[in-house]
Amino acid sequence: MRGSSQLKMMFLTQLRMTFREKQAWFWGIFFPVILMVIFMVIFSGGSEEEFSAKIVFVEQQTDASSSMLAEQLKSIPVFELAEEQSVTRDVAETMVKDGDVAAAIVLPRADESEPITLIVNKENEQNATSMTVMGVLNQVVMQANLAAAGAVPAYRVDMVSVSSGSDDLKYQDFLLTGMIALSIAQGGLFGMVDMVEMRRKGLLKRLRMTPAKMGLFGFTDMLMRLVFSVFQIILLSLIGVYGFGATLHIDFISLVVVFLFGVLSFNAIGYFFSSFSKTTEAYMGVANITSFLMMFLSGVFFPIESMPGWLQPVSNALPLTYFVDGLRDGMVYASGLMNGSFWLGIGVLILWGGIAFALGSWLYRNNRSIAAR
Amino acid sequence: MAILEVRNLRKSFGTVKAVQDISFTVEAGEVFTIIGPNGAGKTTTLEMIEGLVHPDGGSISFEGLSWAKDEDAIKMMIGVQPQSEAMFDLLTPKENLELFASFYDRPMSTIEILEMVNLMDHRNKKVKLLSGGQRQRLAIGLAMIGDPQMLFLDEPTTGLDPQARRNIWDIVLRLKEMGKTTILTTHYMEEAEKLSDRVCIVDQGRVITLDTPAALISRLTKEREVRLSFIDSEAAAAEVEEYAKDQASVVRAARTGRDLQLWTVRPEDTLHSLFGYTKEQGYRVDQVSIREMSLEDVFISYTGKEWRD
Repeated sequence: MRGSSQLKMMFLTQLRMTFREKQAWFWGIFFPVILMVIFMVIFSGGSEEEFSAKIVFVEQQTDASSSMLAEQLKSIPVFELAEEQSVTRDVAETMVKDGDVAAAIVLPRADESEPITLIVNKENEQNATSMTVMGVLNQVVMQANLAAAGAVPAYRVDMVSVSSGSDDLKYQDFLLTGMIALSIAQGGLFGMVDMVEMRRKGLLKRLRMTPAKMGLFGFTDMLMRLVFSVFQIILLSLIGVYGFGATLHIDFISLVVVFLFGVLSFNAIGYFFSSFSKTTEAYMGVANITSFLMMFLSGVFFPIESMPGWLQPVSNALPLTYFVDGLRDGMVYASGLMNGSFWLGIGVLILWGGIAFALGSWLYRNNRSIAAR
Repeated sequence: MAILEVRNLRKSFGTVKAVQDISFTVEAGEVFTIIGPNGAGKTTTLEMIEGLVHPDGGSISFEGLSWAKDEDAIKMMIGVQPQSEAMFDLLTPKENLELFASFYDRPMSTIEILEMVNLMDHRNKKVKLLSGGQRQRLAIGLAMIGDPQMLFLDEPTTGLDPQARRNIWDIVLRLKEMGKTTILTTHYMEEAEKLSDRVCIVDQGRVITLDTPAALISRLTKEREVRLSFIDSEAAAAEVEEYAKDQASVVRAARTGRDLQLWTVRPEDTLHSLFGYTKEQGYRVDQVSIREMSLEDVFISYTGKEWRD
């Protein structure tokens, strides 16, 4: 009977401490939301617009074949004509130099077998727009040649994008799940700072002087963290889905599994930090370094595959990498339980959490006489 | 009847011998005070008795119960107010008390405690907004919430203003009326004298002496230092010095210019006869003082050493 009322009072205490702590609100709720909004706006805001390049064309001599080429160029949607009609070569070169257009296309005279000339600014010779214009132009010319020869192309290229799960994985979905994983991980890494504070103030020692069940106190602490993380997931998902059009395909069971092990694992790492940090400043230092390393190396914002090859083994050792992957399995791909790599990820999380917890407990026991003073 | 028996307690931290040999017995219902300078081993002794620090040697017995076998039972019968104010800052006094109440089998009512430590008006204010005295009273309330037979109050008045100290004294006296046993530590001799049934003086990890405050003070006040300073001349001071030396109560006298120092076992008698003499001679006395006895004197008299703080 005493046990159950103790459990209730301890949980109530954890709840009150968390919700009355401004730091918890800032780092657990406000910070991840702001970070996510910023990244969403920067990296996915522009993707709605179609690619286009401003060009002009130069007809050196108006005849049937040059008119036909000019009409074809006009009909290509990615080319936006700065001038509806042909301009002189000098005018075109000036416009390219001044950056008024991305490129100028000089159509050949019909009687001379000269090539189609593409004028681009030297400074932009290698940039994406120039390359794209060049590529499109090549296509047009090839089509024209084939048409002129009356041939049917033997090979065609068709692009279809695929992902391991549903077809419509967008950057918003990728970023949203990354941010959820990051905020839960940070909750664990930073959250254990109150252990340091409670030890410093002698609160842990004070509780050990009472018949309070310390195991129960630790349990309610974890329970509180789980509740807080559920709140984080829901809030970030709502913002991502309704604010930025992310699409989620949730597999509830794998989400719960990865969520539980992720929260436990990162809290265990935080617990380990708390076991050797004498002050909250020391703890925050360690937590910050760890969090920063993981934030950029674990595929939260960008896929790991886009990083330099020598860095990838580091990423593959970090727990956040597996947590992010697991959450994406559970929230976006709706795959997981049947997937070998999902369980490998869970295994890595357990390994990290288990080692951190064992080390932390060992340090707490061995430093007990010091910690207690 | 003894509620607590401590025998030959020892504890070292590395090469530092914090507690060398401490033994005492506490009777049920008494206020037992341990005094000593910083580093004397008071806190280590208390922490061993409270079960936080494991002694290197010796025994601790609560009515026959020992930490090794009866940890839960002992924790139910004691209440501790540690030196550091360890409580939940973001919770209110009422919430702190309710949480601690849930740890015990038969806790006292939260309202009763709040009234007793005079925090009813502040019961819904966050602890971090309370004053030092209010926090200290809450710490005592938290020690009492489990309705323990025995309370440990570790320097409950250190750093408090005189009014806040008197509030704490009232609480300690109230506990005694309720029949609780209290073990108290303090830096203030006045406090020990006012509150305790018995005082135990500890230094360098050993018990120096243990007795009722009255007995200790009567031993301490064998000699009191009296200072007189004369307006007229050094000759007057010298003459009074000679007169004083003939008094039976005066143990010793010394003079610097017009300032006279006397050590007397009965200050009132000495002063009475001295003033009779100065009036007769027409000497005018500028200042008179009897030096208060302090903890420093206790240590000088019992250990023969200067006070180390």
